[in-house]
Amino acid sequence: MITAQRVGAKRRNTWAKWQRRIGLALLTIALLSFTLLVIVPFVWMVLMSVRTTGEILNDPYGLPRAVRWQNYVKLVTDPQVRFYRYFGNSVFVSFFALLLNTVLVTMGGYGFGRSRYHFRGRGALFTVLLLSLMLPGQAMYIAQFVMMSRYGLLNTRWSLVLLYAAEAVPVSTYLMATYFSQLPSELEDAARMDGCNDFGIFWRVMLPLSRPALATVILLNFMNFWNELMLALTMVTHPDLRTLPSAIMYFVGEHGSDYAMAAASLVVAMLPIVLLYLFLSERFIEGLTAGAIKG
Amino acid sequence: MEAKAVASTKLSPQTGESGTRRRRRGWVHSSKPWGAIALFIGPVMVYYGVFIIYPVLATFYYSLLNMTPTGGRIVTTFIGLGNFQRLLNDGIFIQAVKNTLRWGVVGPALEMLTATTLAVLVYFKVPLHRFYRTAWFTPVLVSGVIVGLVFRWVFNVDWGLLNVALRAIGLDRLALNWLGRRDTPLWCVIFVHYWATFGYSFILLLAGLTAIPEELIEAAYIDGASTPQTVMKVMLPMLRPTFVTVLILSFMGKMRTFNVVWALTGGGPMHSSETVATYVHTLAFGQQSLDLGYPSAIAVGWFAVVLVSVGLINRWLSRRVEQ
Repeated sequence: MITAQRVGAKRRNTWAKWQRRIGLALLTIALLSFTLLVIVPFVWMVLMSVRTTGEILNDPYGLPRAVRWQNYVKLVTDPQVRFYRYFGNSVFVSFFALLLNTVLVTMGGYGFGRSRYHFRGRGALFTVLLLSLMLPGQAMYIAQFVMMSRYGLLNTRWSLVLLYAAEAVPVSTYLMATYFSQLPSELEDAARMDGCNDFGIFWRVMLPLSRPALATVILLNFMNFWNELMLALTMVTHPDLRTLPSAIMYFVGEHGSDYAMAAASLVVAMLPIVLLYLFLSERFIEGLTAGAIKG
Repeated sequence: MEAKAVASTKLSPQTGESGTRRRRRGWVHSSKPWGAIALFIGPVMVYYGVFIIYPVLATFYYSLLNMTPTGGRIVTTFIGLGNFQRLLNDGIFIQAVKNTLRWGVVGPALEMLTATTLAVLVYFKVPLHRFYRTAWFTPVLVSGVIVGLVFRWVFNVDWGLLNVALRAIGLDRLALNWLGRRDTPLWCVIFVHYWATFGYSFILLLAGLTAIPEELIEAAYIDGASTPQTVMKVMLPMLRPTFVTVLILSFMGKMRTFNVVWALTGGGPMHSSETVATYVHTLAFGQQSLDLGYPSAIAVGWFAVVLVSVGLINRWLSRRVEQ
């Protein structure tokens, strides 16, 4: 009797195990197809970029017969395409916007985060800062355009530097303030004993300790600056000064039928971020998760 | 309530104010380091005031003006609420509002449904979960311009991926000119933006799930609950605060997104996929831009609408939590 029961239980167990396995297999197939849907456009784009437009039109699905780097070579060297210029402009704008923003928000985050600098109304001020997360860019960029034209900054890359640095202020300050607020105040006291003033404490002790948060902030901002389109289209119309996103919009408009070239340009524009993501995916995810705050 | 706090910590860590309260008493008698406060907080607030707050207030003011750029200068006339009056009779604007609202309903619904399902699956560590997590998040990082242009090709009538695939499985009748008709472009925009952003909602929801104390989930198992029961009765209710936050973020994203739409359809053809964001841009900086006051009025009016909607969503969902 006992043995029979055991065998029955065992059979039920193996049956349940198989059921589970089949379920998992089906689930994996479903999830993999979904993932395929996410990845295929990228893969297709990369494949297109190493073919010629003629090949693409003949057989859009086909694998490249031979890898042709000619599109990339043309992008990098052709003075008519001037792609290197746009790349350079994007680097320029991102770099200086990051620099400006980092100076502002590390200090601001320190001031907002540390209890030593608490004063009546600081919380309200911080709320005002975060409030703009609710504001769509449309609610300010017309006035920003007028402002830039008034000061002769239209059609300069500095207009984008100034505005990008400003748009990134709320989230960055928030992230830095959160991090600074978690550092123990004993550090402050010890540095004060050693004769540091407030700025010295910030610069020599606290800022080096905030490196992880700073890295997240810079990564997040770099991604946003590199990808931004609306302000780039609005503030800079001169062909030589365009950043990658707006240049690509025009590029595809003008060379609309040269799909292979256009695909190559998209790949190059995407490359810096994707490379960073390959190495720092956790930090990206962490940064974007932390950056999502309700206004 | 405890759980609510825990779940939201992950998304919105405290700003250290609790620490402040503890120490404040000690600082009452000593003088405040005002110099240092000004040094640290001053620059960022001034900068923010000049480049964000001022432009917002200025846009509100512009919405009452007629602003015509003439020969390098901008000629302004005060017309009061005239712009807002014009707005109510603007057929294209009404079309844009309808499109955007349709997107604001369909987009977040689709996104929340799939992202929550996927987050729960990945939470239970289905095979390959790390790979999924990285792969699904990738489109979030790519510029909307690139996404929009790639999908312009995907939807291409002759050789686009979609139509080639449809013809390959014999559905030639469904191989439409997706971006050239009047009835499909908006749905293309909705799909593409979903494709580009669901990974973000997914990651946020996953973070919310991870923040649920494991003891609670274990307790449910010990009480004899099956996995589906645990998900429905314990995890999803606990996820609610995060869910509401992500829903609102998703909704606000649809209300303001410009780049994907601009690169994919540019609002066309014949305004069939026009959103408020693209319409403002077309009016203000398009080929025949004549007046900056009217687009300002649209931006201001639209901001009010979005703010009210977000308030309503928040209130509606919070009330249902209390029941």
